[in-house]
Amino acid sequence: MRRLYAVGAAAARLSLYPGQKATDAKALVPELALAEADPTGDLSALNGLCDWCVRFSPAVAVDPPDGLFLDITGVAHLFGGEAAMLADLLARLAVNGVPARGAVADTAGAAWALVRFGADRTIAKSGEEAALLAPLPTAALRLQPQTAAQLARLGLSRIGRLMEQPRDQLARRFGPEALTRLDQALGEGEEALAFRRPASPWFARLAFAEPISAPEDLARVSLDITALLCRRLAEASRGAGRFELAFHRLDGRAEPLVVNLSFPGRDTGAVARLFAPMIERVDPGFGVEAATLLAERVELLPERQTSLEAVAPAAQEESLAPFVDRLVGRLGEERVWRALPHPSHTPERSARRAGPFAQPSGTGWDKDRPRPVRLFRRPEPIEATAPIPDDPPIFFLWRGRRRRILHAEGPERLAEEWWLKPPGATGPVHVRDYYRVEDETGARYWIFRAGLYAPGVPAKWWLHGLFG
Amino acid sequence: MPASRQTALARLRAQIRALETGSGPTAKVLPFGDARLDGCLPGGGLPLGRWHEIVGEGLQLETAAAPAAFAARLAAPLAEMGALVWVLRCDDLFAPGLAHLGFPAERLIQVHARNEAEVLTVLEDALRTHGVAAAFAEASSLSLLAGRRLQLACEQGGASGFILRRRCFGGGKDAGGGAGAVAAATRWRIASLPSAPSPDEPGLGPLRWEARLERCRGGRTGGWILEAEEGANAAHPFRVVADCGLAPEERLRYAG
Repeated sequence: MRRLYAVGAAAARLSLYPGQKATDAKALVPELALAEADPTGDLSALNGLCDWCVRFSPAVAVDPPDGLFLDITGVAHLFGGEAAMLADLLARLAVNGVPARGAVADTAGAAWALVRFGADRTIAKSGEEAALLAPLPTAALRLQPQTAAQLARLGLSRIGRLMEQPRDQLARRFGPEALTRLDQALGEGEEALAFRRPASPWFARLAFAEPISAPEDLARVSLDITALLCRRLAEASRGAGRFELAFHRLDGRAEPLVVNLSFPGRDTGAVARLFAPMIERVDPGFGVEAATLLAERVELLPERQTSLEAVAPAAQEESLAPFVDRLVGRLGEERVWRALPHPSHTPERSARRAGPFAQPSGTGWDKDRPRPVRLFRRPEPIEATAPIPDDPPIFFLWRGRRRRILHAEGPERLAEEWWLKPPGATGPVHVRDYYRVEDETGARYWIFRAGLYAPGVPAKWWLHGLFG
Repeated sequence: MPASRQTALARLRAQIRALETGSGPTAKVLPFGDARLDGCLPGGGLPLGRWHEIVGEGLQLETAAAPAAFAARLAAPLAEMGALVWVLRCDDLFAPGLAHLGFPAERLIQVHARNEAEVLTVLEDALRTHGVAAAFAEASSLSLLAGRRLQLACEQGGASGFILRRRCFGGGKDAGGGAGAVAAATRWRIASLPSAPSPDEPGLGPLRWEARLERCRGGRTGGWILEAEEGANAAHPFRVVADCGLAPEERLRYAG
């Protein structure tokens, strides 16, 4: 049985409705054009629209199947008031081919009710919700269908009538859900919306009368918007650890540029300098109509007076933060690191890479154990002749040159870490006997023999590192 | 008259020294602890706030292990004055090896640059940052402009730079070339020497290098055989075993 999922305005005028059997509709209107419903496509389009609405407010939530919630607390003034913002939003949506209705209220529940069952573009001032919601039908409270049917049967067809009933009676008769929905609509109950990104009040927006696309204009805009937000952060004595700048293009796409700071800060110049190389790679398309900047990981950062004499080591690292941020922005995070001790026997695993400001924990490296200054990533195979087993070799051949060993030290036996491998995977084959050898020119090498010595089997020697 | 003449001459010598080294009379130095080394260097030690060049020979030109060990040993005391940065072209620096030489490797920030130009740019940026005490870089060639820019960056930030000549990927005609070396405050050539282990102790003796100071702004050149005592708690970074200077010392003749 195929039913109509949605009808257009012209079809609605011919008194077709969603839920009607398709055969009946075709019989009534022979020239009806039918297309397959695509709920997943609709949902992804709604998500796309939700992302587009970020230019109005960063806190946008999807209300399937065909609605969006925008939390405009604190951003309405950027557009010249709630009415102007609503008009602007609906006008832009209409221009892009998405005719919509809108309503503004203190609570999500009230806004939902007003937009679907009230007059278009209602703006409910604080405290007016009860009066505006009273004449609306109870279906506007987002109740379950059985509860709504029950309410209708009992004659409670308007929200106003529902509000007059005693609360414990309502709870007992229709379940707690009716009461929570009513409280949410009137502002006495909490409602949590799943925003696409967590709501943050640290948001700045700049809109342009004409779309811009020149790189120097984009750079100047980024400087201005960063200055705006950093001034607000400074007034509140806060610093942010992550800044996200988005240029919203005329065709609706926006790619965010992200800057992460090692220490939270609010210095306009430093943040703008970190954005500068990324702005050159922005593609403005047909033009950029608005720019938004969002600050996340905001924490308290009181004013600090910079002193003239030498600073403590912790503060020293903070003065390095702009330099490290520049490097990370230019080269990427994996190219700037600090090597910290890792408890492992295997030389190549005894130093692990951590962030540039990571502090070492636990015991450090054993400073008395001789280790080479240069360690090859892959040990290079060498040919060595060791006449006596378990003794260091006398000659070895590396990179085409034969070197004679004058002094040697060792062996230092390093076995595999059997506790990291599955049982049976380790054995006497996987030991390394390291020798520190010096050749006739004075160069020092760190060579090892892989595996124990077995008679008749030529041992395999490798060069792992060089001492100074 | 001779007394005032002596003071006038002393004043003129101080002025000339200031012009030669390009700094005021209160430049900071890092003394080696041995009179033979410190006597060649202006101010009695390695001048800080300048950049220095360390070159190896033969295999060291490609691997730069001896120059790295020498630089680490030399600059370990600078860790108290600020942060340390090492800019690499091939990331094969092994931190436990540096720790064995007494260098605080767990506080070193290592940067892996993508090409030669980036090495020098990052080094200049590091030297310009207040809070960095020493920055090391492995570069193969240095142009005149780059050398002068490094000098200006050192003066601005107050950090010391160490350039280790290294041709990571072999080949190339420019082995340690580039005219930028004229802007260095000192230039060292390090070669490994066979060590002399003491007969009663098994194993290898302390590391031994032949260090030649090939150019020194405001000082004299010289060559020495240095030994680095193993372990991190040596009193001085180096022990001078012998003097193998290039030119005999000449007595300075007083003017007039």
